[in-house]
Formats: sequence, structure tokens, C-alpha cells
Amino acid sequence: MNKKRLLAAVSAAALIAGLTACSAGGGATNAKPTNCTNKIVDKEAPLVSVWAWYPNMATVVDNFNKAHSDVQVCWTNVGQGGDEYAKVQTAISANKGLPDVVMLEADHLPAYEIQGALVDISKYGANKVKSHFSTGAWKDVSQGDAVYAAPIDGGPMALIYRTDVFAKYGITTPPATWEEYAADAAKVSAAGGPAFGDLGANVPAALMALQIQKGAKPFEYDLADQKKITIKLDDQDSKDVLDFWAGLVKKKQIGTVDQFTTDYISGVVGGKYATYTSAAWAPGYLTGAGVGKGESSGVWAVAPLPQWDAANPVSVNWGGSAFAVTSQASDKKNAAKVALGLYADADSLHDGWTKQIIFPLNQDVLTSEEFIENKSEFFNGQQANKEVYIPAENAYEGFVYPPIVVYYYAQLQAVTVKINAGKLTGSEAATELQATMVKYAKSQGFTVSE
Amino acid sequence: MANAPAIATRPSRQRSDTYDSGQRPKRSPERRRATVGWLFIAPFGVVFVVFLVAPLGYALYLSLFSKGLATGTAFTGIDNYVKAFTDPAFLGGVWFVIRFALVLIPVQMAVSLALALVLDAVTSRFARFARLMIFLPYAIPAVIGALMWGFLYSPTFGPLQQLFDLFGGTAPFPLSPDNVFGGLMNVVTWQWAGYYMIIIYAALQGIDPSLYEAARIDGANAWQVAFRIKVPLVSSSLVLILVFALIGTLQFFTEPQILRLVSNGTIGPDFTPNIYAYSQAFAYANFNYASALSFALGIVVFIAVYIFLFATRKRGSFLS
Amino acid sequence: MTTARISIPTASSTRSARSRKRPGRLLVPHLFLGALVLYFLVPIWWLVVASTKNVGGLFHGSAGALWFDKTFAFGPNLVDLFTYNDGIYLHWLGNSVFYAVVGGVGATVLSILAGYGFAKFRFRGRRFAFALLLGSVMVPLTALVIPTFVLFTQLNLTDTIWAVILPSLLNPFGVYLMQVYTADAVPDELLDAARVDGAGEFRTFLQVAFPLLRPAFITVLLLSIVGSWNNFFLPLAMLSNTNLFPITVGLGLWEGQASANNGGGHSLWGLIIIGSLISVIPLVIAFLSLQKYWQGGLSIGSLK
Repeated sequence: MNKKRLLAAVSAAALIAGLTACSAGGGATNAKPTNCTNKIVDKEAPLVSVWAWYPNMATVVDNFNKAHSDVQVCWTNVGQGGDEYAKVQTAISANKGLPDVVMLEADHLPAYEIQGALVDISKYGANKVKSHFSTGAWKDVSQGDAVYAAPIDGGPMALIYRTDVFAKYGITTPPATWEEYAADAAKVSAAGGPAFGDLGANVPAALMALQIQKGAKPFEYDLADQKKITIKLDDQDSKDVLDFWAGLVKKKQIGTVDQFTTDYISGVVGGKYATYTSAAWAPGYLTGAGVGKGESSGVWAVAPLPQWDAANPVSVNWGGSAFAVTSQASDKKNAAKVALGLYADADSLHDGWTKQIIFPLNQDVLTSEEFIENKSEFFNGQQANKEVYIPAENAYEGFVYPPIVVYYYAQLQAVTVKINAGKLTGSEAATELQATMVKYAKSQGFTVSE
Repeated sequence: MANAPAIATRPSRQRSDTYDSGQRPKRSPERRRATVGWLFIAPFGVVFVVFLVAPLGYALYLSLFSKGLATGTAFTGIDNYVKAFTDPAFLGGVWFVIRFALVLIPVQMAVSLALALVLDAVTSRFARFARLMIFLPYAIPAVIGALMWGFLYSPTFGPLQQLFDLFGGTAPFPLSPDNVFGGLMNVVTWQWAGYYMIIIYAALQGIDPSLYEAARIDGANAWQVAFRIKVPLVSSSLVLILVFALIGTLQFFTEPQILRLVSNGTIGPDFTPNIYAYSQAFAYANFNYASALSFALGIVVFIAVYIFLFATRKRGSFLS
Repeated sequence: MTTARISIPTASSTRSARSRKRPGRLLVPHLFLGALVLYFLVPIWWLVVASTKNVGGLFHGSAGALWFDKTFAFGPNLVDLFTYNDGIYLHWLGNSVFYAVVGGVGATVLSILAGYGFAKFRFRGRRFAFALLLGSVMVPLTALVIPTFVLFTQLNLTDTIWAVILPSLLNPFGVYLMQVYTADAVPDELLDAARVDGAGEFRTFLQVAFPLLRPAFITVLLLSIVGSWNNFFLPLAMLSNTNLFPITVGLGLWEGQASANNGGGHSLWGLIIIGSLISVIPLVIAFLSLQKYWQGGLSIGSLK
């Protein structure tokens, strides 16, 4: 009676739902990609699987597939940043499941290189594109002569600020040195103004970049001698930078909230932060979040990153990504072709930067008149590329990332949380960090020099 | 036939007399029934072995090895366990979940019990409606519930600040280091109180109402009926759900993991032991240590449950 | 062994005896209930209200979090939800229903068979197996995720529907519930009578025992379906193909993207909120329609 009808209804529902799910591609995926988010243009050509999360990836992939008959891209977005990295790591450990080509941020490359998960694409013609990139950009994806990824986009850092707040509190020129920055922060705070900036604990990569700007060399690592690592997180430069920001926190002149949250964006829109120390992809991020429209339109400008020594400026980078070929790729030659060719054509790059999705590292774009002369809408017509971002990118010399970078970021985040809570001074945080990281590196089998 | 003299030697435990009536010659009915018993359990058993025992065994195996990024994998025996039980991050997490369980579970049970008692006593339409509404949060996946509370807790977009605006003041952030205990307690209680309430309520419904009549004749008021009669009679149900609540709370994972993004750093990668094991596995790729941590947590849970069952043994056991 | 009292509430007989109450006494309990109902409903109310707002209203709304905004955008939000990314949300919803029903029915069938086996048969190793069963509830899920993932990669089953369905067939608590209920609701005499009549064991089970187990069956079915529906971390680890995601993982994906403003210019917060609301509806319907069964069936937890 009732139960029979129930069972019938349930089975019917299951069947219908099952057909929907199955038709959506619920088949087994043993060898190669059968479930692509994009459409395959040339069905005869071999498929190369790609994991990437660029917002305009669909367009990029279509551009590639239409232009190539020798190989086709099968793309999936398995998540952003940490979500994708978790899948990459499990696939490496399980020895199965990696795509042929994977989008990775430059700071994560050594962590996978040391596990033998990435292929040196210098053998597959990577050096042919070397001239398209700045020294810094190329160094970030290389280990000596070996090249492990093709750079796509970067994040040279600069200072975004609100012109209305600066005008209101009498700051006529944006600070060119960190000393001036602190003075301006004090000025605004004394007049009862908003926080001058924000020390977000969840953006450790930015903080590390700022330490390197002062001359710190947190890590020294060479894949050729992969068991050795040098860790220097408590030298004077590192301490100085942390003390600088901790000081501002203590004087309550800057905010202490996590970035990339709706609360932070709401603060940005409402003028709660006078400046945003950020990277070249920030305008795109902010625009996408609704900043620069409505009540917060026309009040943004960008200036070069403040320096410690105005006579010897140092450029630093936060973020940026590249395409790497994985060791599990069945056809490495084709995979390399994709890694080097995807998002490297003029149309995709143009689409990327005009939509503010990426700051492209390809010199073809960086030297193009259109890009140089571009008047940024977000910055109220300022020629941000020409004045700030391109010079910063060209002066960037590249970082050395350690294979234990994920753990490091988590620890740096943890001490920043403590700084923000007033539990640690900058110097104390640096010392604590050094001790933690040395202990961890030793436990991972590295020979550690300090 | 091995057990031919079945009539004479059949153990007295066996209740039925009918097999030896000669209708069907067969082997010992006990042996045959035993095999059939296993057959019924077999499908579940297969899944159990393949998806629980085997992975657990493999995890145990993994936990006996250590892998460094710079070195290979090496057999290290119980080193990982020693490391786990001396790891301040793990111990800190254990301490948190124990404290959390000690506070949360009584509160949750009190709320659920109170609700169940009231719903058992009151029979209006509103009560029936209330019963359903209170159970509703259980139908919401914990992931989505946590997402919702993340929004509700937001200092900018949640209703808290508006509420405080009425009285003039700043709303506290429910996920700040001082408040996170209460903030998480709220989320979990909201999610699960209805579920526990229904179980207790069903148990209450099973009590013979003539007992109430007898008590009322003796002059007992509603409170006395509730606490002297109802509660003791459902005590073994209470013990059952308390055990499961204890196990679940010590393994606290989903809600704090989801709320990490909006907690402004309060909930870190080692906030609870389960989150710590997850971080070790999926963020730092230390699968071996992560497995050891999971087992270490399992040991803690086992000890806690054992202590709890020992302490409540007088109340009657649900373990036959 | 303590006897379990299984009760199907006989509403009429118990109710009339209690309906004689002084009206004033009902106020306090009702206030208490009312306050708590409010507590449990506020977040759901927030969800409903937030689903009617567009992004502007969500973040810069006029009336605050708990009341409607000037623009009523429920319809457009719904359309947006079902068309974004070629209607992937509907795929996710369908997947969840599929996983939940198949997994739920499968787990219940296994549980009912195993529970019957434990309850009605005596065999060596039974106590041990049962203790093992109960102990398994104490195992933290995180311990299982990685080895299960490795196991599935060896079988080439990761990123398929089986990666989600097979593990969800495991419901030790369901077996326990069925065992308890079967032990009391199915008298041995009935079974023996059937056996005497020449019925095989399985037929005995199906035709004699099963009809008596209906409330417990529905309860375990519901619990399994809910459990399957709520699955998050195992599917998250197993699946990379977004077309196979259940709704929990799908919404999680959107949340990650929304935080990093990676919606490609499309703010995903509105979708996440209305997506959450719609995702709750199937389960609510299931509960409402099966109310009669589970409210009676959950009393199997009652042990004296």
C-alpha cells in the first residue's frame, strides 16, 4: 500500500536523477580525460588534460583549441588555490590522478619539484620562449638550467590608495618610503581617520615579499642539492619588517582583519582602509568584488611600493601562476606544447588583461603600446601600467621558494594572528618562526643551515 | 550424519521443536542456521571489510612509517604515535574538544530533554508544528548550516550588529578567540538539538501512560512526573545518544573547518585534532603522520567512551 | 538482556487522558516552545530573506539582514541559479538525489539484512562481530579518507559515481538499530512457523519479518539518505569532475571561488545563498511526507 507506492516513487526518482547524473558523464575515467568543461574542436587530435582556475579559462581554452589541430586541451576547474593543491598532492601521493598540465603558483613549484612530480620542460623547447619574460619571472619557474613551468601571470606589488582619504587628511603625495608611510598613518590616525592599511594574517605571501624587499633572504634552496636548505627568518631585516607592521597594529593605525573576505571588501568599499599594499592583480580582484563602483568609484589611485631605501629600490612580487607539466602526463611532448602555448596567444592575453583578470608576464604584452598606454578605469584614468606595474615587473629579480612553503605560510599566518592579537612583537614572532621552521625542516629530513 | 541424535542432545536454549518432525532431513539446524546467519550479514560484512577494515588497516600501516620531503619513506614503528602524544598542537586540540564536549553535551542534552519533555506533555497543534520546526535544522547539511552561520556571524552583514545598534554598542564577534567556544556551541546545538530531541521524544512516547495516572493519584505534580518518572525511564536512551554525541564531539570537524575562512584567524589548522590530521594530510602531505594522528584521536575517543560507559553503568547498558 | 519496548504511538488512547489541563498551565511551556522555535527558525528565515535579494541588496541592503530589501529578486535569482554555467546546479542537485537514494537504499538493505542476521541467528563470532561493529562508529572519518582514496585509485574508480556510492553503503549504526528492533519486533515463533511450512530462510525473512520491520526500515532509510545527502569530505577528495559533484561539494566550490572573486565578474554569493535554500527543500519534503513513519520508528531507541 503506502510503502509500495513509496518504494515506487523512490525508485522512479532515483532512476530519473541517475539518468541525469549519468548523462552528465558519470562514466569511469581510467586513462585519459573524458570529461572536459570545454568543447573539443578537433576530435581526432590527442587530448591533453589541464587543471586551471582562471576566470576566463573557457575563452583561453577555446582560443587554443581553435588554433591547433595537433593537440587539443581538455580543461577542468577543480578548485582554487589550496583546494586544487590538496587534489594535486593527493594525486602525487597516490601516484595517479594528476592532469597532464596543471596551473600552479610559482611559490608552490619547489614543493612538487622535490617530489618529482613536475617535468623539466627545457627539453621540450621552453627556452624558446625565455626571451618573452623578465629575469624575475623566468627565475621563479626555473631551477638553474631546468625549467619547470611556463609563466603566465604575475603580481608585482604596489601601493593602492584612496585619493579622497588622502585629500581629506592632507596627504599630498603618496608615501615613497616606509618611514613616510608610518608618518602618514600616524597623521591620519591622530585626526581620527580610518585605518591606514591592513595586516591580513591570511596573506602570508605578501608579508614574506615585504620582508624580502628589505633585504631578507628567508630561504635558500637549490633543487640540484635538494636535501640542503638554508633558513634565515630571524635576521635583522626580517625582524625589522615584522616590527614595523606590529608597531602599526599596536598603535591601532592599521586594521587586523583577514583579506579576501566579504567583511574586508565591505570595509574597502566603505573607506575603512586608506591604502592597500597589494599586487597588480588587485584591481581586478577588487573590481570583481564590486569595489570601484557606486559609492567607491573614482577614488582609487596606485603608487609604487614604498621603499626602505629610496636610493636602492627593490621590487617584489606576490602571486602569479604558471603552467607545469606533470610527471604523470602520458605524452610529455604534447603536454609541453600545451603548457607553453596555452594562454600565450595574443587574443587570450588581451582578453586576460583587458578584463583585469591577470597581469600578464609575457613581454609581448608588456611592451605593447596598448598595454603601456592603457588608462585604468579602476584608477580613474591613471596609466597604472606605465607608471607603476610595468617598471615594478621589469625590476623584479625573482624569489627563492622552499619546498616547505605551505607549512611556512601556515606558520607565518599563525604568528601574524598573534601579532594582531597583541601577543607577540615582530621580533619575537621572527624568532618563534625561525625555531618552528628549523625544527620542521629537520623533521622532514633536510640538512638545515641557519 | 554428524548430529543425528538431534532430539536428545539439542541444547535447551533452542526454542523451537519443529525441525525434527521429520519433514525435511537436514544437517544440524544450528549449523545450518549459523551459516544462514552469516549469509545475511555477508553483504554488509563485505562492504564493512572493504571500506572500513581494509582502509583502516592501510592507515595503520601508513602510520608506522615516516616520510620526509627530503628523505624517502622509512619504517619508524610507533615514533609517529610518540610524536602525536607529545605534539602541543595535537594535545591542544584534544584539550579543546574535551572541554567543548564537557560543556556542549550537557547543554545540548538539557535543551533536547527539556524540549522533548515539553512536547510530550503539551499536545496542541502548535506543539506538533514546533516539533517539526525544531527537527528541521537536522535536514540541513552541516556544510550549508556552517555557511549560513558564517554569514550570520559576520560583523558587517549579520543581524548581530543591527541588534546592538538598537541598544547602542558594538556587537561581539562570535568567532573571536574569546567567543569562539560559545560561537561554535551555538552552531552545533542549533544543528543537532532537534535530532536528539526526537529520539528522546520517541522514547518518552513509549512509556506506559498508566504510570502517570498512578503518580498523579499519589499527588505528584508535572515536574515530579517529569523528573522522577519520565527521565529515569528513558535513561538508557539518554546514555545511548550521549555516547554518540561524545564520539561526534571529540571528532569535531565540519563546522570549524568551514568557519575557518570567516574566523579571522581564530580557527587555525590545528584547532581540533581532526582538523589537524586533515591539515597534515591535505595541506602538508604528511599522510603518515596524519594517519597516526587519526588513530591517536581514535584512542582518545575510545578511552573517553569507556570512562563514560563505566561511569553510567548503573543506568543500564544498551549493549546487550 | 534488557527488553526494549517498541511503541507505535497510539495517539488516541494517550491523548484523551491528558487533555484535561488547566488553560493557564499551558502558557509557560508554549512560551518556552515558541522561544526555541524562533531560535531554530531564525537562520532559515535569514536564508529565505537573503535569497530574495540581489547582490547589491545582500551587501548594502536597506533593511538589514533579517528583512527584505526593496528589490524582490527571488525570481531572477532562481533563473540565475539554474542557468549559471549551463545549469550545473541542477546537475549537482540531481547527483545528490541519485547518490542519496541509491546510497541510502543500498545502505538500508544491507543494514536490514545484517541486523536480521545478528538478531535472529546464533553463531560463533557473533558477539565479536557485533562489538566490532559498534567500535567502528568511533573511527574518525579522516583516518579513512586517504586510504579509501588510495584504494579507489588502484581500482581506477576515483572520479566516478562509485567513489561516492560505495563508501556510503556503510551504516554501522543502521545495523545496530535494525538489530535492536528486529530482536523485539519479530517473534521467533513466527519465523519458526514459516520454516515449518517449508519456507526458505530468505523467503521467511521477506514475507514474515520484513513487513514487521517497516517503521525501523523507514527510519534507517531516512537516516541513511540524510547521511548520504550530507556527505562532503569524501566526495570532495574523490571527485575532480564537477559534473559529478553532489550539491554540498558544488556549493563549497562556489564558496571558494566567491571568496577569491573568481566568478568571472559574476558575484557568486547570491547563487550560493539561493542554492543553499533550494538544496534544503528535497530533504524537507522527504521528512514531511514520511513523518508518520519516522516519528514512530525512532522509538526503537527506547530501551528500558
